[in-house]
Amino acid sequence: MNARALLLTLTLVVSHGLRAEAGVMDRLRGLLSFGGSKSKTEESKKIMPRIRVGTFSGGTGASAQQALHQELLDSREFFVAGADEKADFVVEGVSVGGRVTGNLKDAKGKDLFQRSYAAPGLDENLKALTDDVIYTITGRPGLATSRIVFVSDVSGKRQIYICDAEGGEVHQVTHDKHAAVAPSLSPDSSMIAFTSYRTGFPIIRLLDLNVGWERGVTDTPGSSFGSAFSPDGTHLAAVMSFIGNPEIFVSDLNTNTAACVSDSVGAPSSPSWHPDGRQIVFSSDDGDGPKLYIVEVPQKEGQASRLFRWRTGYHFCTDPEWSPDGRHIAFTTRTSGEWTVAIKPYPNGGVNVVQTGGAEHPSWSPNGHFITYVQHGELFVHDLRSGNRRSIVRGYGRISEPRWMR
Amino acid sequence: MNAALPMINRPAALLLSSLLLASCSSIPMPSFLHNPASEAVVYALGPRDGFSSPLNGSLKPACPALVFDNADFLLTSAHQQALNSLAQEMAKNKKARLLVAGYTAPNLPADHARSLSERRSLAVRQRLIELGLEAASVQTVGFGNDFSPSGPSSDVVVIYRQN
Repeated sequence: MNARALLLTLTLVVSHGLRAEAGVMDRLRGLLSFGGSKSKTEESKKIMPRIRVGTFSGGTGASAQQALHQELLDSREFFVAGADEKADFVVEGVSVGGRVTGNLKDAKGKDLFQRSYAAPGLDENLKALTDDVIYTITGRPGLATSRIVFVSDVSGKRQIYICDAEGGEVHQVTHDKHAAVAPSLSPDSSMIAFTSYRTGFPIIRLLDLNVGWERGVTDTPGSSFGSAFSPDGTHLAAVMSFIGNPEIFVSDLNTNTAACVSDSVGAPSSPSWHPDGRQIVFSSDDGDGPKLYIVEVPQKEGQASRLFRWRTGYHFCTDPEWSPDGRHIAFTTRTSGEWTVAIKPYPNGGVNVVQTGGAEHPSWSPNGHFITYVQHGELFVHDLRSGNRRSIVRGYGRISEPRWMR
Repeated sequence: MNAALPMINRPAALLLSSLLLASCSSIPMPSFLHNPASEAVVYALGPRDGFSSPLNGSLKPACPALVFDNADFLLTSAHQQALNSLAQEMAKNKKARLLVAGYTAPNLPADHARSLSERRSLAVRQRLIELGLEAASVQTVGFGNDFSPSGPSSDVVVIYRQN
């Protein structure tokens, strides 16, 4: 049985005694070895655009003007000019009762956009405006409205929580009977895929954060875990073991069908998508410690795909995650007996050790400038440009498995 | 070398080629190209209906927990011995069902731990089937380090009897 070509409807239950031959699948593991060129995780220093916060009229205009100034400073995407200084861009507007209308202009006075924000709170509206300003000027997503999901045992059971990029607004989002772990946010931040033990067995479920409904994605025998949304949010990569081996499957969320894309004799885990949606990196332990592998995702049924080992130079590599631009992969490894977060350019380049001393499970910010990880149960955000880091959630039980909204 | 080629006539060259090709099948494959695990027959899991989880109530272990060392999933001789005894005992009751549950040490990365524990459970299930148990009567689950079993070691596979 060629499992790679196997298209399986998840709702079908595997019949008793069905046999699958392992190892007959076409394994094309290349023995690629990379190295040599210098790490490029530090972007070359560029001149920051200058932006000025103009007048905000209306009852909450003064507060809005002040808070927006701070949001733009915190973003570290701009040089924020003073009231009398020249700027490449000017943002001004109106704020009444916490609602905000923002207008972004270039130096010549040309309107780049004008939008209204009517969320209940002034802060929320200004964060949305800040992200729109950043995206319009830099082409990269801002972080003001982005979210980080993580697991914490603060309630006595491992459950999933969500917070903003500053570690504020922490909310518990699952209340499962036993535990809910391994969360992954959809690209638009509207859904969380996670591993639930509510039946007593690990299954994958989807939670819609907007309307609150939940549904199962897998309820196959064995274990299902490690889900990751595809960049377009239509597919989910995850580990499932119902064929008798744990393998990486890609599920179509619209049709509820799944295809096996890996060919493992060991223990695969932690799939992560390339931003183009055509490749998946995952960790697999074939008996000599987990290593990183990359598999091409077939774009149509029956298409052959290449599966190869991606060498990092380390013997123990888990939790890989592709950067938003697809040029780097962050992963957990072990140095001097302690967990370490490292980044390596893809496809080749030298490894950049980001944090030693127990740091693990890295996840990239949407703009690729930061990564979040956990260290000794605390949640950290690490600025890859400056090397500075700070703890954003601590004293909240033991935190694990953070994922930043992609 | 080129000068030597005309010295061999065509039938002789064909005969030589045939002999070389025939001998290929008797040449052993180098060990680094040969993966014995890839030739094993693995048994897909049947429906889980009717199986209960140790998270939902107390289940009785069918034998002492199998301890794994060094983050490995291969069965040792001690594991084989314990499984042989269990298979002999299970042969008396053909209707008995088992849940093989894997756990790992708390210091492993969580998702790797889940996969490793499931892989260990599947290795145990595979051996039990090879020893004569019905594939449909043995289910697996990997708890990784999300839950701990009772006992001194957490790097174990526990085989629970189903009621």
